This record gives sequence, C-alpha cells and structure tokens, in this order.
Amino acid sequence: MSRNHFAVLLFALLGLSACTGQQDAETPGTFRAALLTAGPVSDAGWYAGAYEGLLLLRDSLGALVSHQQTRTPAEFDEAFLSYASSGYDLIFAHGFEYQDAAMRAGERFPNTTFVVSGGGRFADNVVPLIFELEEGSYLAGMIAAGMSRSGVVGMVGGVAIPPVEGTFLAFEAGARTVNPDVQVLESFTGSWDDVAAAKEAAVAQLGRGADVLIHNVDAASFGVFQAVRETVAAGGTAWALGMNRDQNDVAPDVILGSAVIRIPESFLETASTWQTGTLGGRPIYAGASEDVIDFVLNPQLLDVVPAELVAEMTAVRELIRAGELTVPRVPFVEGEPGVR
Amino acid sequence: MPETDLVLFLEAAVRLGVPLALAAMGEAITERSGIINIGLEGSIIGGALGGALGALATGNAAAGVLAGAGAGLLVAMVFALFSIGLRTDQIITGTAVTLGGLGLTGAVYQARFGATGTALTLPTLAPMSVPGLSQIPWIGSALFDQAPTAYLSYALAPLLWYYLFRTAWGLELRAVGEAPDAAQAAGVRVRWVRFWATLFGGALAGLAGAHLALAHAGTFAENMSAGRGFIAIAVVVLGRWNPLWVLVAALLFGAASALQFLLQALGLDLPYQLFLALPYLLTLAALAGWVGRSRAPAALALPWPKER
Repeated sequence: MSRNHFAVLLFALLGLSACTGQQDAETPGTFRAALLTAGPVSDAGWYAGAYEGLLLLRDSLGALVSHQQTRTPAEFDEAFLSYASSGYDLIFAHGFEYQDAAMRAGERFPNTTFVVSGGGRFADNVVPLIFELEEGSYLAGMIAAGMSRSGVVGMVGGVAIPPVEGTFLAFEAGARTVNPDVQVLESFTGSWDDVAAAKEAAVAQLGRGADVLIHNVDAASFGVFQAVRETVAAGGTAWALGMNRDQNDVAPDVILGSAVIRIPESFLETASTWQTGTLGGRPIYAGASEDVIDFVLNPQLLDVVPAELVAEMTAVRELIRAGELTVPRVPFVEGEPGVR
Repeated sequence: MPETDLVLFLEAAVRLGVPLALAAMGEAITERSGIINIGLEGSIIGGALGGALGALATGNAAAGVLAGAGAGLLVAMVFALFSIGLRTDQIITGTAVTLGGLGLTGAVYQARFGATGTALTLPTLAPMSVPGLSQIPWIGSALFDQAPTAYLSYALAPLLWYYLFRTAWGLELRAVGEAPDAAQAAGVRVRWVRFWATLFGGALAGLAGAHLALAHAGTFAENMSAGRGFIAIAVVVLGRWNPLWVLVAALLFGAASALQFLLQALGLDLPYQLFLALPYLLTLAALAGWVGRSRAPAALALPWPKER
C-alpha cells in the first residue's frame, strides 16, 4: 500500500509544482525577491499586476525572482519560511490576508524584509504597502454616475476586507458628487475567482436597474464583464469599470475605464528604497500623488463619454494629486485614526 | 417581490443549479457503485478548460462541450486507475486529483493564454427557448429558456433513475456498491463496473465544467469551479443517491445561491455573510430533517477486494 500512496503523492506534487513558477539561477552580487499571491496571477487584475511587478524587478534591477501561489492560510507561514530560510532578501506578500503571518516571519527572520500589500501592521522589517486605490475608485464613481441613465450603479465584491470596503465607500462618494440622488447597489460573492457567482451578482444588479457596474474581485471580474456584455447583446445599455489594473483591454467593448494601481512601478520604487537601506518601520502610502493610483479611460470608448464629464473627472484628479481633496477610505493600518 | 424579480431569480436558480445537477447525478452513479470520487472538482475544472480550449479550437460550442466531457472523463480515469486499479484510499486519491486538476489546468491556461490572463471570447452555448413551454407564466423562462446543457440534465434524471432501478445493469451497479463480494460471486465484474461508473461520473462533471465556461461565464478562469465539486457531493447525499431527487436538490441549492444575490441587490441592510451562508444552512437543515432516513451504499469508499 505504501507504494501506492507514494504514487498518489507524486501525482499531487506534479499538479502543485505546475502552479509554482520557480525561476532561480545562481549569480553572485544580485538580490533575491519573491512574490506570494493567494490566488492565480492569471486574473488580469490584482495578482497579475503583482506578477508583472516581480518581473520588472528581475528586468530592471537584475533581481533573482520567484513566485509562489499559496492555496490556504496554513501555507502562509510555510511559504515565508521557505523563502526567508533559503536566502530571499525581499518578499512581497500581495494581500491583506498575509499580515499576521508576515509579522511572525519578520520576528523570526530579521535579515529579510517583508512587504505586505494592503497590510495593516508593521515592524522594522515588515512594511505595509498601502495602495490608495480609493482615489481611483472615487474617480470611477464620478464616471459611473455621469454615464448612468437609470441613476442606479452597482459594485460587486469578493470578500468585504477593509481595502475593498474602502474602494466601495469612495466609489459611492465619487458617484454622489456627480448625481446626489444616485442609488448604489453592493453585493459580495464570498469568492475572488468564482466567475459564475460574480456574473449572477451582476445580473441581479442589472435586473434591479443598475447600468454601470464596478467590481473588486480577481478573476471573477470576467463574470461581471460578461453579464454587461450579455445585457448589451440583448439590446440594453450597460457599462463596466475595471479595477486594480488597467483592464480596459480585458473587455474593450464594455469597460469605460479602470481604477488602476501601477503595481509594477510601485514594487520597483519599494525595492529601490530597500536597496538604499531606508525601507522599514513605517507603512508606505502609494496614491495618486505618487502616480501609483490613477483612473484610465478606455481609449476605444472615449467617444461615448461626454467631454464635460471627462473634464470634471480630470479636474478632480488634479485636486487629489495636489493633495487638495481627501477621498474617504476605511482605515485599517496601525496608527491610523480608529485603528488599534 | 415583483413578478420580474421572481422570474429573474428563478432563471438564476436554474443557471446555478444545472452544473451542480450534472456533476451530482454523475457522482450519484459513481457512489452507487461503491466509489466516492472526491476528485470531482478536478473533473469540473478540467471540463471547464477542456470546454474552453475545444470551443476555441473548433469555433463550435457544442464541440467544446464534448471536449469538456472528455477532459472530465480523463481526470476521473486518473482517479479510477489509482483507487480502483491500485486500491489506494479514495479520499486521499480524490484530494490529490482535485489539487492536481486545479494546478495543471492553471499551468496549461497560463502557458496557452499568458501568465497574467485575460477574459477569453469563447463561442458560447446560447439559451434555446422551447416553444410553448417557455411561455408558461413564472417558471416557463426559468426552466425552458436555458442552455442545451440544462435540458440534458432534465433528460438525464429520469433516464438514470430508470437505469438504476429498472434495469439489470442498474441492479448490478447497485449490487457492486452494496455487497461487492456477493456481486462477484454472482458473476459481476466488480472493478470493471466501478471503473465505468467512475468514468461516467467524471464525464458528467466535465460537462458541468463545460457548462460553467461555455454556457454561464463565457470564459475560463483559474479555480472557476470554486468548490462546486464538493457541493455536488453534498447534493448527492441531499438527493439520497437517487438521480431524480439529486436534480431537485441541485435546483434547490441553485435557488438558495440565487436568492443571496437577489437579496443583496435588493439592498437589504443585513450582513452579506448571512446570505452567503444560506445555501449551506439549507443543506444542513435538509440533511438533518430529510436525509436522516436514508443511508449510503454499504461498500462506499471501501477498497475492494479487501485482500489480495
């Protein structure tokens, strides 16, 4: 029997190893950077941006890079341990969910620096990288309310973690500046990857009269775009908005624009700071004024968005960039008001 | 609830119920033969990718559905070779097949479409309206304006019921699942029957995956099966290993899932986790109240022959 169990394990390992792209090579003098994601990088969004960031570190700084996808929270500690103990200098853990495991790993491996995207806790070698995506989402809300004929817009989320709740709060606030009476629907599916569930959540919102939808999920965003496409194919009018990465080319026929995080550039900036030895001990805030957050209109649909609306949005974007307008967000980082 | 809301809700219920029904009816046949295939999730995601690739290669959604069924069958064959051929533990083997299936489909998808992914534009299975029946008030469009895979699940339920309970082959299958030693003594080729029952279950799970990709989502995404294989296994228990009840149970589960989206879109000011838990609370309630009087095939999950 033990032989058979071994064969089964071998098969499982084959499958697991197929999804971790180890790209090690031994060259002295360079540093090692690793990326952990809690979902597949093929989501054309949040994780895809991080993977592009990792490749940018390889191409721009000559870093030796490796990526691992963790499947369960139980694997967080294990993944940190394996990278830190095999000499990785800089580990990007791309998601709020990694923060506690990163704090534990940071204590155990003082010579490794852990960067947690959207993390809420920090230490000398544990650095939350806070993307102020609310700023992009606020602008998306303005476009949504300005483009809606029904006065109803919708948001489809995966899990209501603070960074996601923040983007939805800002979306609603931005929408209200354009149409104070706009009705904003909000649904969560409990999954970042369940395309069918996100589609049904979108269909339900479209059925309630929503005609511009934004999302904050990963690969499940394809379901939101598909629901909008089907509404258009059936003769209706509806639009979608992208989130986390420039998704305008993911469904160029229905996506008006995307609230973008320039994750690759932000990773590069963070790694450069680390190289100067000044990274750590405090969170990094990356927003519109750092040119990390933006709202990018889809060039293929520019002619459907009224010029006045674009001008209004652009003016507000300049105010945000100049620090003259503060967008509402949900605080979740240690030291922020309302956070222990 | 206004009429349009109810109709939209029922349509969503059937859309969400069909993939569960297909996978669970297949698994019911597999379990009736004494094999519990936890690797169903692997067959579903394999079927989703196989369906997407098949549809892209041929430009034909129907060919994609066949490719999806074939992919689901191949994944189940891996499970069958280990658990029936080598008598490995079915739970461990099934878990390995699920993990292997999710990992391999991801690797293939990234190799074919780029690591960072995109929303594919696939030839999709458009809903087909059944003349007359789809005009029935309230439930007409929900039941009879659906993708062809939905009609397949309606047809399969009575066919599989007839096969299981009214044919000699069905009797053999059930005998293998209840008392394999006695079945063998009566001249039934136990492992052969189990092997085909497992492949059949895998093919239907593959169809479920192809439905997800081609009739529902219109694209493939990694992990898009999202646990439906495990829910289907619960649906089998809920349907008491009877294909007719399995179809009803799957549609009920689909309705509970659809209800959560409707309630959220209605803007009820309740924690959304409550809505998400709804299908599972329903399952628990049904299991406690209704399935208590049923029991699993006696030889389920036991390697056979015991010694060799």
